[in-house]
Amino acid sequence: MLAACGGGGADVVTLPTVPPTPTPTGEYNGPPPNTADVQSFRLNVWDNLSGQNRCGACHSTGGISPTFVRDDDINLAYADTNPLVNLTDPSASLLVSQVANGHNCWETSDAACATIMTTWISAWAGDAVAGAGTQIQLEAPPIKDVGQSRSFPDDSGLFAGTVYPLLTTYCSTCHASDAAFAVQPYFAEGDVDVAYEAAQSKLDLDATADSRFLVRLRDQFHNCWSDCTSDAQEMLTAINAMADQIPLTQADPSLLVSKALTLFDGTIASGGNRYDNNVVAMYEFKTGTGLTAFDTSGVEPAMNLTLTGDVAWFGGFGLDFRGGKAQATTASSAKLHRELTATGEYTIEAWVAPGNVVQEDTPIVAYSAGDAARNFTLAQREYSYEAYNRSSVTDANGMPVLLTAAADEDLQATLQHVAVTYDPVNGRRIYVNGTYTDDVDPEGGGTLGDWNDTFAFVLGNEVSGLRPWQGVIRLVAVHNRALTDAQIVQNMEAGVGQKFFLLFSLQDLVNVPNSYLMFEVAQFDTYAYLFQQPTFISLDPNPQIPDFPVMGIRVGVNGAEAPLGQAFENVDTQVTAATYLPEGQRLSELGTIVPLEKGPEDDEFFVTFEIIGSNTNIKLEASLPPTATPADREPVSAIGLRQFDDINITMSKVTGVAPTQADVAATYEIIKQQLPSSDDINGFLASHQVGIAQLAIEYCNALVEDTVARSGYWPALDFNAPSASVFASAAGYDALINPIIDNMIGVNITTQPDTAEVRTELSNLVDRLNACGTSCAADRTAVITKAVCAGALGSAATLLQ
Amino acid sequence: MHRPLIPNVSRVTLPSSLKRAALCTAIAILHCTVANAGPREQAKRIFDRITGTPPSAAELDALASRISAGNPVGAALLATEDAAFYNVTLKNFIAPATNREQSVFVPLNDYTATFVGMVRDDVPMNTLLSADVIYVGNDTSLPAYSPTSNEHYEQMEQRGLSLRDVLVQRTQSGANGLPTEATAGLMTTRGAAEAFFVLGTNRAMLRFTLMAHLCNDLEQVADTTRAPDRIRQDVSRSPGGDSRLFLNNCIGCHSGMDPLAQAFAYYNYDTDLGRLVYTGGQVQPKYYNNEDTFTFGFRTPDDRWVNYWREGRNERLGWDPSLSGRGQGAKSLGQELANSEEFASCQVRKVFRNVCLRDPVDALDRTWVSSEVSAFSVNGYSLRQVFADAAVYCMGD
Repeated sequence: MLAACGGGGADVVTLPTVPPTPTPTGEYNGPPPNTADVQSFRLNVWDNLSGQNRCGACHSTGGISPTFVRDDDINLAYADTNPLVNLTDPSASLLVSQVANGHNCWETSDAACATIMTTWISAWAGDAVAGAGTQIQLEAPPIKDVGQSRSFPDDSGLFAGTVYPLLTTYCSTCHASDAAFAVQPYFAEGDVDVAYEAAQSKLDLDATADSRFLVRLRDQFHNCWSDCTSDAQEMLTAINAMADQIPLTQADPSLLVSKALTLFDGTIASGGNRYDNNVVAMYEFKTGTGLTAFDTSGVEPAMNLTLTGDVAWFGGFGLDFRGGKAQATTASSAKLHRELTATGEYTIEAWVAPGNVVQEDTPIVAYSAGDAARNFTLAQREYSYEAYNRSSVTDANGMPVLLTAAADEDLQATLQHVAVTYDPVNGRRIYVNGTYTDDVDPEGGGTLGDWNDTFAFVLGNEVSGLRPWQGVIRLVAVHNRALTDAQIVQNMEAGVGQKFFLLFSLQDLVNVPNSYLMFEVAQFDTYAYLFQQPTFISLDPNPQIPDFPVMGIRVGVNGAEAPLGQAFENVDTQVTAATYLPEGQRLSELGTIVPLEKGPEDDEFFVTFEIIGSNTNIKLEASLPPTATPADREPVSAIGLRQFDDINITMSKVTGVAPTQADVAATYEIIKQQLPSSDDINGFLASHQVGIAQLAIEYCNALVEDTVARSGYWPALDFNAPSASVFASAAGYDALINPIIDNMIGVNITTQPDTAEVRTELSNLVDRLNACGTSCAADRTAVITKAVCAGALGSAATLLQ
Repeated sequence: MHRPLIPNVSRVTLPSSLKRAALCTAIAILHCTVANAGPREQAKRIFDRITGTPPSAAELDALASRISAGNPVGAALLATEDAAFYNVTLKNFIAPATNREQSVFVPLNDYTATFVGMVRDDVPMNTLLSADVIYVGNDTSLPAYSPTSNEHYEQMEQRGLSLRDVLVQRTQSGANGLPTEATAGLMTTRGAAEAFFVLGTNRAMLRFTLMAHLCNDLEQVADTTRAPDRIRQDVSRSPGGDSRLFLNNCIGCHSGMDPLAQAFAYYNYDTDLGRLVYTGGQVQPKYYNNEDTFTFGFRTPDDRWVNYWREGRNERLGWDPSLSGRGQGAKSLGQELANSEEFASCQVRKVFRNVCLRDPVDALDRTWVSSEVSAFSVNGYSLRQVFADAAVYCMGD
């Protein structure tokens, strides 16, 4: 057990973890740099690596060779370092791969050390590398048939019975979270599910001999427990035992398929086109695990963020904030105070995907002390980005805030590149997706002399934790200069996350040597991949391209065509020698997202075609299943309500009063929306009846007030006679009620109210209204007529249909 | 503050006690008798349902006599000659289709009037979304038709003019200067433009046209299996950072909707001018809104549309096999939509609902709808005939 961590007997071959004592380093007192490049090396690399807490502990003067951080002569250190770096592709430098593989990384994440080392070497390489970085050297991928790959099963059982026992026996002293000197990844964790997840990236199920576990023992002699050769064989046997029990993924044999690839079989698309010359803090979130997000700017001190609360790692690099925060210490945050106040200007740059567009005044990136004191903050208010800055022209809380115009809806709940620049002339300027939002800072520029160096840098919240922002942050960079418009566009166009060129071999489909269908692929988020711009290309230096058709391109994942996102299935084009360019022939300008299934390490991709060259496999749509017969519903009433306009025109029709009559029209406009707007009789309400009654009264009022119209309607009724005399006989009742029944109720219609009952009801109404006898007012007959008219008009006789 | 239930009752010269008495009497007469229907009862129901108003004694007699003579459809067609069929029934039948709120309480406009006129004149309904047709009021008292104002129609309504009598057919190209090939029936009326081409991305025109004339909202036609290659750049592929939302929801509607709505690429409603604007050959800037949201999305180059819903589950909408399923501009899209079986079925089902006061509830109802859909296309897509047939079907035993 102890041997696993290098404390064993004489046979154990280990990398030295306790170096010989080198000559102490401090201020450089050797001869001056011979060239500007040596000077650049010193400033960008040597100064960062020569300390006792870095490579200087071992590789300084008199230490382990190569002494690339020797302090006796910077020119000799430069000579020692040159073989260890690749200035054309800094990420491919030996210095980077060493720390990436765990060689004395000074952070708790090897990936973070690799990124930081790349940053330093890139800075040394300077402009020459930036120019060369756009030249991607495509590499021929491994040739694998679809269906000849294995995927990790969901269950950890197989792992637990094969590889896991070796790991827990020989590696748990370091690679478990409860180890005295815990070292990530925790593939020897006591919880087998945790260990399984961590171990998957170290196992290659298709080429077991290439598994990282094996390489570390066999080739790098990393903490072998007995003899490295036999230990490696024991590990290989265990890995083979696991792989052999996992069936190969099968694809439909009728498909026209390319060769297969995983994401990491691709050529890395350089992300080196960013402008980062003035970056002082940088977070790319590549670690993907743990509670620390590393500042990989390379500018000391590293302003690493501690994750607290509900914050999760986001697939494809990023942090998903759901209430928590990621905060640096106040001590390390003072770097921002130092660097930004020195220049008096800065840029906050971030790739963010707000979770919604309703959250208000929630900080995304802040350098603050709480809800009421800050140096700067980039925040969200619904559809707007907010920029706070403390300066000589604003208060201690960075107010007044600069806000993008709400009507522009610059902020969207999708991945966006946002940058806030500040300089003493223009003050704050906000850029979204590389475009200035045209929101001018009314306060203008000022000085940053009032900044407080005891504040803390925080993402996704206020330092108080009281203003959580919901969303994803995929990159944050703080620059100590206000980037120019062009630099912001450059960084926006550089994109975010790691991208690969996947070259799907077409060697079995078209007669062109070294021919491929190339996609640019990236993990888009936790749940999908982005495939973009399929391009036919041959890696032959002088390819002979025949004319051939390409139609119906689909992306396959793990043996089957992806069920969603097939944006290239309508591609119908021709590859020709005339249209083929040295960089290949683009078959589509589009991009699409394809669902992630098992993860970037495990998902195996391929491409299918309906037509390519002389091969054809036209996809036919499945026929539709027969439509099910709907179930019968409950019977519905055959009677319904008239609706608002029906009622109005009905009343007009049966009274003869035009709906445009001034009083009627005015009343109708008021109560129109109070009337029924549905014919469902079950929806009839008391308010409907009140509205109907009011309209009925208005119509009848208009009719009776019109002396000509009323005489035509009630020819036998003497409106000028006292009501007592009019209704003293049955003739008076008939004179009033008969026209109403004829016009409003209808005769000989059995579905209408019984006319005798109606007559009785209306007669009773007359009697009640005529109870005043001889003391009735002179217009009582007209009034009674209006009431009886309205009673009938507003009744079911006219309301129902 | 609540609106008083009887806000202006004091203006009516009726004592309050009498108002209460009249109201109570009205409620009392809500009771009615339902008996077996004879020709007079059937005639009343036909007239009621078609016009929204009761027949006069003479009208009732005329309809009843036709029914008694074994010609109930003739009776129903007679009812469709009543002015209320146009001013009430048809106007309110189409009104919800003219606005995003789908409110029936909206002013008369050219969308409504054109629909009413086309029904009156038995213009085939399968040209409803493609014809170079507009109906205007032929009344000298009205302000002239204007492509920049709705005053012409609002006055027509306020003055209570009979749509049956006053409407006359004109061409959109003649009335508002649209090129003939850019006219697309109701979709290129000023009313439709004001409602559905205003601001936004013009997808609203497709959605509300589908809802109004194919009786399907996007949820009903969503199909995630269609190719997403025509989904525009403004649609986030990872809303809120979660691409599952796009892959499982957004893609379902946008994959079919965006290639269809491309037909409207040259249309806009200018809120300053108050009119429909057509820029033939030049895509409206709104098609490039939020183009940075997903730069690898589809960038609209022209107004070529394609119907991806011809295959997959939406094949059931019954697209016309004599059409190609693709084209340029709104007119050919309107033909594609209005010649589908679903369009015909939707018209019949809406009329059935309007006349019978219910959706089909059993096999008998469904059979009638099915046979009427067939008859609709055979009989020259006359919606007036469908109203008559439905009224007869539901006139009672």
